[in-house]
Amino acid sequence: MHPATEKLVTALSEQSIVLNECDYAERGYHFEIDLDAGRLREFAQCMLEQEMYLVFVGGLHVDPAIEIIYQFASYDRLCRLVLRVVVDSNNAIPTISDIYQGANWHERETRDFYGVIFIDHPNLVPLILAEEDVDLKPLLKNSDNIKESAAVRWVTVEEQPETDEKADTD
Amino acid sequence: MPPELLRMIIASVIVVAFVFLNAMILGYMERKVSAHIQRRPGLMEVGPHGILQLLIDGIKLIGKQLIVPEGSNRFLFRLAPLLSFAPCVLPFVVIPFSKKLQIVSMDISLIFILAMTSINVIAILVAGWASNNKYSLFGTFRSVAQAVSYEIPMLLSLLSIIFMTSTFSLQGIVAAQKYYWFILVQPLAFIIYFISGMAETNRAPFDMPEAESELTAGFHTEYSGMGFSFFFLAEYANMFTVCSIATVLFLGGWKGIPLPLGDFTGIVWFMLKVYGLLFVMIWIRWTYPRVRFDQLMSFCWKYLIPFALVNLLITAVVVKLI
Amino acid sequence: METAQQNLEPATDIPHDNRYYLNMGPQHPSTHGVLRVLLEMDGEYVIDPQPVLGYGHRMQEKMAEHKNWMAFMPNTGRMDYAAALPYNHGYVALFERICGIEVPARAEYIRVITSELNRIVSHHLWIGAMLLDMGAFTPILYTFDDREQVLDILEDVTGSRLTYCYFRVGGVCKDIDDNFVEKTRAFIKRQRERFDVYNKLVTGNIIFIKRTEGVGVISLDMARRYGVTGPVLRGSGIAYDVRKNEPYSVYPKFDFDIPTGQNGDSYDRYLVRLEEIEQSLRIIEQALDQLPDGPFLAKVPKKLKMPTGDSSFAVEAARGELTYYLVSGGGDIPYRLKIRVPSYSNLSVLPELCQGMLLSDLVAAMGSMDLVIPEIDR
Repeated sequence: MHPATEKLVTALSEQSIVLNECDYAERGYHFEIDLDAGRLREFAQCMLEQEMYLVFVGGLHVDPAIEIIYQFASYDRLCRLVLRVVVDSNNAIPTISDIYQGANWHERETRDFYGVIFIDHPNLVPLILAEEDVDLKPLLKNSDNIKESAAVRWVTVEEQPETDEKADTD
Repeated sequence: MPPELLRMIIASVIVVAFVFLNAMILGYMERKVSAHIQRRPGLMEVGPHGILQLLIDGIKLIGKQLIVPEGSNRFLFRLAPLLSFAPCVLPFVVIPFSKKLQIVSMDISLIFILAMTSINVIAILVAGWASNNKYSLFGTFRSVAQAVSYEIPMLLSLLSIIFMTSTFSLQGIVAAQKYYWFILVQPLAFIIYFISGMAETNRAPFDMPEAESELTAGFHTEYSGMGFSFFFLAEYANMFTVCSIATVLFLGGWKGIPLPLGDFTGIVWFMLKVYGLLFVMIWIRWTYPRVRFDQLMSFCWKYLIPFALVNLLITAVVVKLI
Repeated sequence: METAQQNLEPATDIPHDNRYYLNMGPQHPSTHGVLRVLLEMDGEYVIDPQPVLGYGHRMQEKMAEHKNWMAFMPNTGRMDYAAALPYNHGYVALFERICGIEVPARAEYIRVITSELNRIVSHHLWIGAMLLDMGAFTPILYTFDDREQVLDILEDVTGSRLTYCYFRVGGVCKDIDDNFVEKTRAFIKRQRERFDVYNKLVTGNIIFIKRTEGVGVISLDMARRYGVTGPVLRGSGIAYDVRKNEPYSVYPKFDFDIPTGQNGDSYDRYLVRLEEIEQSLRIIEQALDQLPDGPFLAKVPKKLKMPTGDSSFAVEAARGELTYYLVSGGGDIPYRLKIRVPSYSNLSVLPELCQGMLLSDLVAAMGSMDLVIPEIDR
């Protein structure tokens, strides 16, 4: 692992945030994190200090609540990170647009498509859709094609005999 | 009818006709030259090699309606093209096309021409203001600032020649170039004059007032039909005037190697020289991008004017000593 | 339109309050697509530029949720029409990654060759368009002449000149032949001679240098906060290119450099793109030399069975880093496809970058960012 990436892992574990390592060949990113909304801003601040840039902010409509997906990457080393945060009961989530100004537009677009409110966003007006279409929320799924959150995740191999074999061969 | 008056009337008609003809020829030349610089054939459709294109364009423009924008000052809006066109025709009255082909010979011909080209500034101001359009106003401000600033180096460079010849009469200046052309002794003045001339007529690289990619078309955005074509004619007439002054003062006017055409050798040489300079103007336009407006102004005030003043001073000293 | 830019003051002390709003676009000779920029102006200075997007929005991400990969392929070519093949590439490679499909070597080489040709075409279009914005009417015709050579080559093999739909999951849809190889080599030779023309006409042109030097400087900090990628980032001296940093396809087999600028101004971005054309020519040459024989399309089941989960794939499009992010719930139709487009992040820099600039400088800076609005609006 690149030393800067190790520094990142250490810095995050100091704040008791656990990174799950992923198989890059299968997934295209190295780490996956699930956080709750309250820790989002400190995570983003840590990312900025660790010299990661924000690739995108997107939404994902699953049962029971919309998840917001953030992807971070780095300019100087190979390290890609996917963060998932669930919105709270009011369909709202804190903004990170004062930390990463690029998130300003990404969050406006997510709000256009999903109706998610970003708390303390300076200018939450429609970006891609027209002003009249604020209530359209085109990317929300309806009840017959929505899936559960677990149904769109990789199936993790739990305590299976294979893992014991793997431990043997290591 | 006294023969003088008849002569004047005929000459005036010829002059106005010449202005239109010049616009046609120059327009055609511009489009063909630019096409060949850009590696494409250019006008080919109307007439053999597109010769009749400009004529048909003119007829088309006559047929179009001048749409007056709402909220504009109607009287000023219609007045502006005429105000632009009229002072552009008048200089043709005093330009010496040949030894005897000059409609009116005045002792102050040069001052007359410069005064007429300055009136163009008012026309631009009126056009931009009367259009009731932010883009036009933008173009007007830029154009007025540019025109007023670049008149100074123009005058200063011309004054250098006047010091040498002690006359403002254009025929007199041509006559003073008996042994050599003045460009050989005043190359700096020629360059300064040519650059200022391009800036005065809003030609690229100084065409910020008409910057298409920023301001649509500057002060003549709102004009259509004959209104637009008057501005267009005025621009080409101005170009011709600037180049003919340059020819008269620096390139020996109508003087040249004698041809077996009698008195008409003068006009042939004059036209060749003027159109040569016009070709260079067109060439420069299609080669360079636009100069940014503040760079344009700083170029005039910080470079052209000091150089022109120094040139004038040196000329004055040398003339005094000789 | 308020923006929370508390840490920035207006760049100039302008004594009188002559502010007004000027609208640039959506139909405008300068913007590259239907983009409207609402400018709050004070005289000639721009106080607050706010891009207004959405004039070309087609909701591609929703369409992706209802179509299988083959039905959505043509859409990928229509997002960035100037350089469509990298968009094709990212999309099919994403499915190959998530399903574990292996692509034959010849197909990978063909993908690289055609993508690099497309990059050259896109950069040529950009040079012409940027100079047209600045008032030089001639270079665009020269660059279009060069483009024609490449578009003819690509038309023979892909069938399109602009909006390509050439790649398939598992390879490409048609093989290249010796005619293609010959014509491409002839083009490489011709293009190397053309650099002289561009250097004399544009690179060394004092007026162009004065219009672009020092205009629109993007610092590393600004780039990181906005997620800027591509030649815009490389102009500021950061050598980040997905082809080198996160290699995909057969790029590790080629030897090429990543050109960077020093000052981060518009002139550096121009130089970076001009140099990238040369590097693309190098890649194409090496790829043609190493081109293996073999199949050009792997056997892929008609109905893909994707596992549940998410996957991401990043490619270097002509304008920056293009990332596709797919969430699948099984089956062959994606549950969610997020397309992260490079010009989106590049344009979001505009309000901070162009505060207090002259209008002409804003045109030059925006032109140097190489925006294609349909990809921003999707």
